[in-house]
Amino acid sequence: MTRSTDRQEKQRVPKSLGRAVGYLARYPRLAVFATLSLLIATGAQLAVPQLIQNIIDAIVSNALNQAILSIPAQFQDLALQRLGLDLTAVQTELNQANQTLLTASLIVVLFATARGLFTFAQGYLSHMLSENIAFELRSDLFAKIQRLSFSYHDRNRTGQLMIRATDDVERLRGFLGQGLLLALQSFLMLAGTIIILFSSNARLTLVVLPVLPIAIIVFMVFGSVAQPLFAEVQKRLGAVNTTLQENLAGLKVIKASVSERREQEKFDREVDHLLQQRVKVARVFSFLFPFIFLTANLGQAAILYFGGRQIIDGTFSIGEWLKFSLYLTFVFIPMGQLGFIISLMAQAAASAGRIFEILDAHNDVENRPGARELPSISGKIEFKRVGFRYFGSSEPVLSDISLTAEPGQTIALLGSTGSGKSTIINLIPRFYDVTEGQICIDGHNIREVTIESLRRQIGIVLQETTLFSGTIRDNIAFGRPEASDEEIIAAARAAAAHDFIETFPEGYDTLVGERGSTLSGGQKQRLAIARALLLDPRILILDDSTSSVDLNTEYLIQQALDTLMAGRTSFVIAQRISTVVNADQIIVLENGRIADRGSHEELLERSPIYAEIYHSQLSENVRLDPA
Amino acid sequence: MLDRSAQLLGAEATRAQSLGKTLRRLGGYFRRYLWAVVLTGLLIVAATYMQITVPDLTGQAVDCYLGPFTAGQSGRETAGGLSGIPGDLQASIQGSQAFGNCWYTTPNPAAETSQVLAGLGGLILLIIALYTGSAVISGIQFYLMAWAGNYALRDIQVQVFKHLHRLSLGYFNRQESGDVMSRFTSDIDTLQQVIGFGLVSVFQGGLLIVWTIWVMFEKSFGFALVSLVTLPLMIVVTQWLSNQARRAFRQARKEIGAVNADLQESISSVREVQAFGREEENIQQFNTQNAANRDANVRAQMFTSALAPSLEALSYVSLAIVAAVGGFYILSGRDFLSTTLSVGLIITFINYSQQFNRPVQQIALLWTNLQSAIAGAERIFTLLDQAPDIADAPDARPMPEIRGHVRFERVEAEYNPGDRILKGIDLEASPGETIAIVGPTGAGKTTIINLIPRFWDVTAGRILIDGLDIRSATRDSLRRQIGIVLQDTFLFSDTVMNNIRYGRPEATDDEVVAAARLARANDFITKLSSGYETVLGERGSGLSQGQRQLIAIARVALTDPKILILDEATSSVDTRTEMQIQEALERLHEGRTSFVIAHRLSTIRNADQVLVLRDGEIIERGRHQSLFDARGFYHDLYMKQFRRRQETAEPSIPI
Repeated sequence: MTRSTDRQEKQRVPKSLGRAVGYLARYPRLAVFATLSLLIATGAQLAVPQLIQNIIDAIVSNALNQAILSIPAQFQDLALQRLGLDLTAVQTELNQANQTLLTASLIVVLFATARGLFTFAQGYLSHMLSENIAFELRSDLFAKIQRLSFSYHDRNRTGQLMIRATDDVERLRGFLGQGLLLALQSFLMLAGTIIILFSSNARLTLVVLPVLPIAIIVFMVFGSVAQPLFAEVQKRLGAVNTTLQENLAGLKVIKASVSERREQEKFDREVDHLLQQRVKVARVFSFLFPFIFLTANLGQAAILYFGGRQIIDGTFSIGEWLKFSLYLTFVFIPMGQLGFIISLMAQAAASAGRIFEILDAHNDVENRPGARELPSISGKIEFKRVGFRYFGSSEPVLSDISLTAEPGQTIALLGSTGSGKSTIINLIPRFYDVTEGQICIDGHNIREVTIESLRRQIGIVLQETTLFSGTIRDNIAFGRPEASDEEIIAAARAAAAHDFIETFPEGYDTLVGERGSTLSGGQKQRLAIARALLLDPRILILDDSTSSVDLNTEYLIQQALDTLMAGRTSFVIAQRISTVVNADQIIVLENGRIADRGSHEELLERSPIYAEIYHSQLSENVRLDPA
Repeated sequence: MLDRSAQLLGAEATRAQSLGKTLRRLGGYFRRYLWAVVLTGLLIVAATYMQITVPDLTGQAVDCYLGPFTAGQSGRETAGGLSGIPGDLQASIQGSQAFGNCWYTTPNPAAETSQVLAGLGGLILLIIALYTGSAVISGIQFYLMAWAGNYALRDIQVQVFKHLHRLSLGYFNRQESGDVMSRFTSDIDTLQQVIGFGLVSVFQGGLLIVWTIWVMFEKSFGFALVSLVTLPLMIVVTQWLSNQARRAFRQARKEIGAVNADLQESISSVREVQAFGREEENIQQFNTQNAANRDANVRAQMFTSALAPSLEALSYVSLAIVAAVGGFYILSGRDFLSTTLSVGLIITFINYSQQFNRPVQQIALLWTNLQSAIAGAERIFTLLDQAPDIADAPDARPMPEIRGHVRFERVEAEYNPGDRILKGIDLEASPGETIAIVGPTGAGKTTIINLIPRFWDVTAGRILIDGLDIRSATRDSLRRQIGIVLQDTFLFSDTVMNNIRYGRPEATDDEVVAAARLARANDFITKLSSGYETVLGERGSGLSQGQRQLIAIARVALTDPKILILDEATSSVDTRTEMQIQEALERLHEGRTSFVIAHRLSTIRNADQVLVLRDGEIIERGRHQSLFDARGFYHDLYMKQFRRRQETAEPSIPI
């Protein structure tokens, strides 16, 4: 990535996060209820220490009441007088003591239950919210990626796009769903606690307050230190795993070159490297964690001492002190959470930036406004002074290509790698749009019609056939899911695929693709032909370079292709002699221009380039047996 | 911190078959770091002691120093104001019944405020010392355990890696290499997570719980019972919720796997999808999967979300019970099961009951992960126990310099006992000859070439090189003299230079370039962005299939082997490269005995012998022409090709 795009990314990042937060609005009810639960849960939490204070105070003062009433009567009055109490009041308080105690305890239980329920509700709702947002993001990403043009996919690797749809979405989910709510909760807790502390005992609060900045600094240090440490661990772990992966995948090479010892040394070195980083992490953490706890505990010790002084002075009660001590624990947890969330925020913002980069990507092949449906075509294709260059490149890949294919004709494209053969066939179904000139089908400029209606009438057999997870039937019916079984079988027969399909125990229901059984190159190719046959297109685009197939299969494929091409306008990147010889027109390409054209006999006679290609590229391409 | 419980619950859970044996063996790896383990144990005990003592001391502070002053609460007069009342009664008012709880100091109700304050200060200094000590100790303990754990883990990793190299290809044939990889990485990873932090947490948590309970019972049997009433409930709730969560997460893991597979497939084949106009169907299909993943996760999170709040609520309930029951007994003036309760004791017990929360949750979460880690260790040990299939004979000698005479005598081979891949193969290659092996898939072609460098050993018969049974030679000395070009070229993520140099690390740059020239690879390498110093991506990405083959050929050319083994690539490469490869190979064949699994007509035509293999037997052998004339199996193959050639009028082919 260049420096200028780096800068652009930085500018975009904060905006992206804001936009991601906007996704919350798609689920207003969930968001509102989660926030309400949070408010109630936090409120209940904040009330608990006060309630506990009530209990302790009730115990302490009634213990005094009881002691006074239990001393001999002659001193009772004196004690009451000295303590400034009134006998009847003392008696009434004592009589109601058990009642008071019970009520206060029950209120604690009540609040605890409420706190539990609403904390659960908050957690559950926020998870639901975040999972739904992740769902939306993934869904949007997927839809966008599916529709982005070839030139976008040329520039972006599958792996990178995968990471955005998985890791980046996951990171953003964590932040939006929980991070934001937790931040709000932490903030409320912190603010609420400090207000309560100040209003109940400002002097004591001032004593412990200096601990707070220390804690904040520690958490911030923690946040900024932890991230790069872990990133380095991941990096070193990656190196270890790469070596391991290579040793498993390249085992034969390693054994054959007797390099086991060298690989072992490399691995040992990398493992040690990883070990050192892990020990370093442990060192940092074994300092940081106890330090954080110690800071919190010193706060407790401080209020025990200074609070104790106030108790001795008579300006503070034991219940209040206990309350204070509990509130203090409420200060530390949210601060830790805030520190953590802040470190998450930067990552989440970067992830959001990467996600929106895809969602906002400009699709350079799109239906024009007011594009019409392409009517049923007969198959005449004209290239009118067509030129093409790839996105961001100044070098033209094709220039000044003009040709006409009459309905039913076969056009063979010949040329060395990079001569522009693939580009020509990619332009017809508008995988790319021409940058100069125009392509017309039956007189319709293909840029004026809808992409769907155009592609529906074009059959494509690519060099590498990708099978999708699913049954063989699904794969043949890929372009026409509604096709009947009879149609599918007929297509398979015509593609010489029926026989091998029948040899599988499950026949057409055999699972193939990543999670199914593997088919040979030749079998895949025949399925691709069946797939194209089922569409019954007027125009056919074919890359017929043979992959590894045995002779018998090759023969079958050849026949299947002949069936396929019969009566259709076909553009073929030719590798087989028979295709070239039988073609109506042969186009010889060189450096993106048409170097020569004509029939086989004409070209063989007059074109030295053709003769060279014919002899070198087309003859030796027959192989003896399957892999 | 944010989602740690979900993370722990989301991990895969498995169980070891023989727990004791695995633990002992795992313990063996800690023997070198025994002192650290023992020290950690001692520190855990010390830290726990401190954690238990502090709440007790806090209670002491209340009962012994602060309690007497509560009689002079705010709005009332100070304690000193009780003058005129007999001392024992004063003491009673000031809560002397609580002094029974005082062991730290003997309270003196008549003490001056300044004296009390000094005493309290001393107590708090002690508490601070304990806090500090506990922080230092837990730091050291965490570090020590992480240190010892990571070192022990390193030892295991290195040992496993070494062992992998000792295993024969037969092992990897039986086990998917991805399986070995994931076993190694994920099991080590689980161990890593548990070995440092997890183990310490579980031990410390367990000790803290047991010790606290013991201290509580010692202080007051009855009050302890009351305080612990919610503990079993906590354990049951945690257990149930985490089990449910684990089950739900297992489902969620499946769903996310399916989502990722869908993504991968659709992105990598986006061109086909667009070519066939399948975008809408795919998007719909993906969203079904996507929604299933969301729902599975939401369900799993329901249980995780319930875990912390239920424990928290239960601990508040227990706090209310402690306070209410304690308060009731203090006020009634009665002893609770022969213990005199005090405010300080209540506060101590409140603190204790709050301490349970964290360890219970931690142990519940970590326990299953601990089990999984042990199961992982067991799997690793199983791998280590896999006996190396091929070992050098005790009296093995280095292979003398090979001239290149190779002879197979009634050779048989099997991967799985009883399943013969090769059935009595006889063949003889003179120095410099090229042997082409042809035949259908599964005929045993690859097995034959794997036997020569002893990737496998024969199960019957023998292979002689220059008259010497190769099993009597050391494998290293044998393999150094054999060059192998595989069908699927493997490149390391390293520079082009180092990739070519791989088989002979001591080769000079000039030698590498010379080898590359011989392999016709020099031209394209010099056109790469950094020439020979270009770093190749993962598995050599960035190069075409053909270019990778040329590098592999250069790699072998550099080692100048006496015997060449070649599995011709079947995948199509562009024509110019294809011709370069042919030429490079022909040069490489010169003067070496070569065994080639042949896919190219030119190779077969030029071979000195063609072996036609079917079902583990050589059914035809000879030169191309004589085989063709014999009108057998080979003839059939060739005829099919010949017929097609005639259709197109055979051009003059420069072979």
